[in-house]
Amino acid sequence: MAITGILLDTKRFAVHDGPGIRTAFFTKGCPLKCIWCHNPESTSPLPQTGFYKDLCRSCGSCRAVCPAAAHSFEEGQHLFDGDSCQACGKCEEVCPVSAMKLYGREVTVEEAFALALEDRDFYENSNGGVTVSGGEPLMQKEFTLSLFKALKKEKIHTALDTCAFVPQKTLEEALEVTDMFLVDFKHADSMMHKRLTGQSNELIKANLEFLSANGARIEIRIPFVPGCNDSDGNMEATGAFLGGLCIESVKLLPYHALARNKYRALRISDTMPEAESPSEEKIAAAAAILQKYGLNARSGRA
Amino acid sequence: MLYASFDSDREYLVNKFRKPVFEEGTGVSQEEIIEHILEFADTLTLQDLPKPVIKARCFEHVCQQMFIDVNPHDDFPGFGCYDRKKRPLAPLVGRWNYEVDSTVNKERAEMCWPRNSAGLHMIWKDFDHSVPDWDAMVELGYPGLLERLEKYRKLHEEKGTLTPAVAAHFEGMKITVNALLDHLGKLIDFARARHAGNPRIEREIRCLEQLRQGPPRDFYEVLMLIYVQFYYCEHIDHFQVRSLGGNLDDLLLPFYERDLKEGRYTIEDMREFLTCFLMQWGSIDNYWGHPFYLGGTAKDGSSLYNDVSYLILDVFDELHIPTPKIQLKVAKNTPRKLLDTAFRMIRDGHSSLVFVSDDNIRKIKMCYGYSEEEARTCNVTGCYETAARGIANGTGAGHANFMKIFELIFNDGRDPATGYTVENCGALKLDEIKNFDDFFKSFLRYLDDIIEVIIKCADGNEANLHEVNPSLLYSVTALNSLVTGRDAFSNGNVYNVSSILLCGIGTAVDALMAVKKFVFEKKELTLQEFREILKNNWAGAEELRTRILLDRDKFGNGIEEVDFYAHILAHYAGRKINMRPNARKGFYAASGHCARQFISMGGKTGATPDGRLAGEEFSKNLSPTMGMDRNGVTALIKSVCTMNALDLPGDFPLDVMMHPATVQGEEGLAALRGVLYTYFAKGGVAIHFNIFDAETLKKAQVEPEKYANLQIRVCGWNVRFVELPKCEQDAYIRRAENIAE
Repeated sequence: MAITGILLDTKRFAVHDGPGIRTAFFTKGCPLKCIWCHNPESTSPLPQTGFYKDLCRSCGSCRAVCPAAAHSFEEGQHLFDGDSCQACGKCEEVCPVSAMKLYGREVTVEEAFALALEDRDFYENSNGGVTVSGGEPLMQKEFTLSLFKALKKEKIHTALDTCAFVPQKTLEEALEVTDMFLVDFKHADSMMHKRLTGQSNELIKANLEFLSANGARIEIRIPFVPGCNDSDGNMEATGAFLGGLCIESVKLLPYHALARNKYRALRISDTMPEAESPSEEKIAAAAAILQKYGLNARSGRA
Repeated sequence: MLYASFDSDREYLVNKFRKPVFEEGTGVSQEEIIEHILEFADTLTLQDLPKPVIKARCFEHVCQQMFIDVNPHDDFPGFGCYDRKKRPLAPLVGRWNYEVDSTVNKERAEMCWPRNSAGLHMIWKDFDHSVPDWDAMVELGYPGLLERLEKYRKLHEEKGTLTPAVAAHFEGMKITVNALLDHLGKLIDFARARHAGNPRIEREIRCLEQLRQGPPRDFYEVLMLIYVQFYYCEHIDHFQVRSLGGNLDDLLLPFYERDLKEGRYTIEDMREFLTCFLMQWGSIDNYWGHPFYLGGTAKDGSSLYNDVSYLILDVFDELHIPTPKIQLKVAKNTPRKLLDTAFRMIRDGHSSLVFVSDDNIRKIKMCYGYSEEEARTCNVTGCYETAARGIANGTGAGHANFMKIFELIFNDGRDPATGYTVENCGALKLDEIKNFDDFFKSFLRYLDDIIEVIIKCADGNEANLHEVNPSLLYSVTALNSLVTGRDAFSNGNVYNVSSILLCGIGTAVDALMAVKKFVFEKKELTLQEFREILKNNWAGAEELRTRILLDRDKFGNGIEEVDFYAHILAHYAGRKINMRPNARKGFYAASGHCARQFISMGGKTGATPDGRLAGEEFSKNLSPTMGMDRNGVTALIKSVCTMNALDLPGDFPLDVMMHPATVQGEEGLAALRGVLYTYFAKGGVAIHFNIFDAETLKKAQVEPEKYANLQIRVCGWNVRFVELPKCEQDAYIRRAENIAE
């Protein structure tokens, strides 16, 4: 039987998810529940349908095709019953204004591989390749690693964007077919980590030490969220830990709250902090702290 | 620095070609000259003089009559005939055009006009896109060109080939160059009388004196020569001068190095000259811009980019003006530093830069008969067009409207707006079309008709270019014109190529796919029902229109079965056009560039099956319909490169729009390089980038005063976004809304 994955999205010409021009596959399902998550549609491992009410014109096209009668209209108002929805994607296909959006499609490794090959010329001309991101791609280990294995046979560069909250054995398997690890590091303090993401960070730290010890190319990505992990103290502690490892680069990714409408569309509670995107000066100051520990740290904005 | 006065010069320079002020007594106004030019020409016609001589005498007359200025705020002289829309010889050229079209070209002109009005095509006599032989000009200067002219005139005399027509051609060129030199003398006299002792003016006087006596000797004199040739040829002799100096960096390099070595000028001095030089075209500010190019490849395979390239880019960047527009010839040897400099400029909104592939131009040109040397050293002659340096003249003979064909099919050959009807072209009546194959074949039959009529009418036009507008100041630079005794613009060059520009291929593919899928595959409606919907401009069928617009099968998304049709259309048209002999002892070439016709022909084209409303623009150049490429730039390039650039030897341009977020930082530069290299590796020839987001454009629409310098690449040129009509601004915003971050 063909190996499949549930993909949230596929992005061709991804420029900021690893080196060069890349195709990025975003898998569904994540073991963490970061309060600032800007991809809330990636948390659940199952397909979901988003309903963007502001765009809806109540034309009724969705009702006509829905096998689960999840769409109804009362006094011109479109009511969407997410619990009944089977996430088949038919309403998305017919919606003329993109008010319905299916998050999560089943894709075979062969299909993903064929799509990845489409832009091979671009990878070769930019030292790019393929990234699997998420969610947490190793929650769909079989899909992700099978895809990477196929890509490595074609000598295509692979990058894994992971939160590293996975069994070490899984990472060990990933090492064989992964050219670069893009690893999130959200807080140096385990208690704070648990408060902000739902999980402590011991496993993540251990996995980073493991990857480093095994010669993996590692880029650390720190979501830089005001009031959550942007304190100088956390940067110092982060620098002290990462500085002891073999890390190629560290990117500080500025927080933004553009994803709020996705929380509404998916009918899940919005946990995003009420905060402005941090200034470049603030990010530069944090990067400077990390640089003291010998890290090649910079803003992910530029 | 020589003057350090740019801040105080800027106002004069900006207004020089917009609202200049001239001293009374130095001449008469442009309006007055144009009003009386035919009276003056009549006195010559009565003497039974040949046309080249009449035109040359008129050129001389204009030079003697117009206002002049030599100003301490400027390194280059000012002229009364500053407004290109009122060029003084326009009435004369118009009269001769009428004479030709009402006599020898009457039948074809009458065939052409109603079809032009109906928007099937746009055929005209193109007097644009010529590039003088800058190498000969710099080597010989005007006096040397005159000597060379005299030498060849004598040779014709000795060989017995100095026919009256040849003699008139030589006489016309000689009068014109002498008139130009006399006028330089007048400028010098004026400068001495008004500004003696001013060091800047003294330098300008010495410079002009040198051009009267011989070739340019230094950096400033070369710039002056280019400016002078441009001005007299474009504004008075009525021929557009493209590519200012060719690859300006290479042309200037020996002078730059010598001036530095001999201590004549410092780099800062030359920067000042370049600033003032570029500002001339910044002031002229023609909608279509003025090009020159940089770089190229030397015979030994090394890059021609040099210190002057960077100096020019730096000055251009500082000025932030939409024109001149600069093409960058890119090959494997192009320094990464050069590319990154250009990409940074584009990313910062200075997008009047186009990248063209040295290797692919060379390959295409050699396939059409150029030698390796001729192909490698090609000039970029307009927006994207290329032609052999110093020995070629290309014209844009006609534009073919691919979208009009749908109106013809749905109305049995009749253009609904004008009533013009295409007959007997082999297309089926709508009721006879039973399947998509029938529909597609009918499409090709109408395309045949359009192409054949363009060629027939263009032949009629182009056999008479020298009768309508003898080229004198351009011809004198072209050696082959002297050797053959024929007009260099018309038929006297080594390569006389006429381009037929194909407009709307991308949207035509979308429309074909809509018919294929919705009529013949899904059977949602009949062709007859579609005809009624289109006739009503989609009124009452909005839901169908939305579904067609949202349908995935659109050109530009890397969908093989869709892009297949783009390949077929380009190849089919190319096979019909390329290498067909033209009336200028040259051949026709198909071109993927459509200038502004994607807007103006769109205005003459009714609603089409792709969901386009009547009057809306269609796809420009080889790009998809605005907003229809939804799979990103890699898919876009894959689609476009399914067309073979060898089928479109005239030019092969692509417009790419990208969101600023995707190209930020060093990763962004690397990505842009990757896009460029891949496009060229796939056979693409010219590419330019618009980098902006919909939000910025919307803000600019609301508060234009805050975004006065926001530039948009329209087609082969840049304009200020805030100066576009709202409908065009909206089209860019719609397009930008589809670009992924």
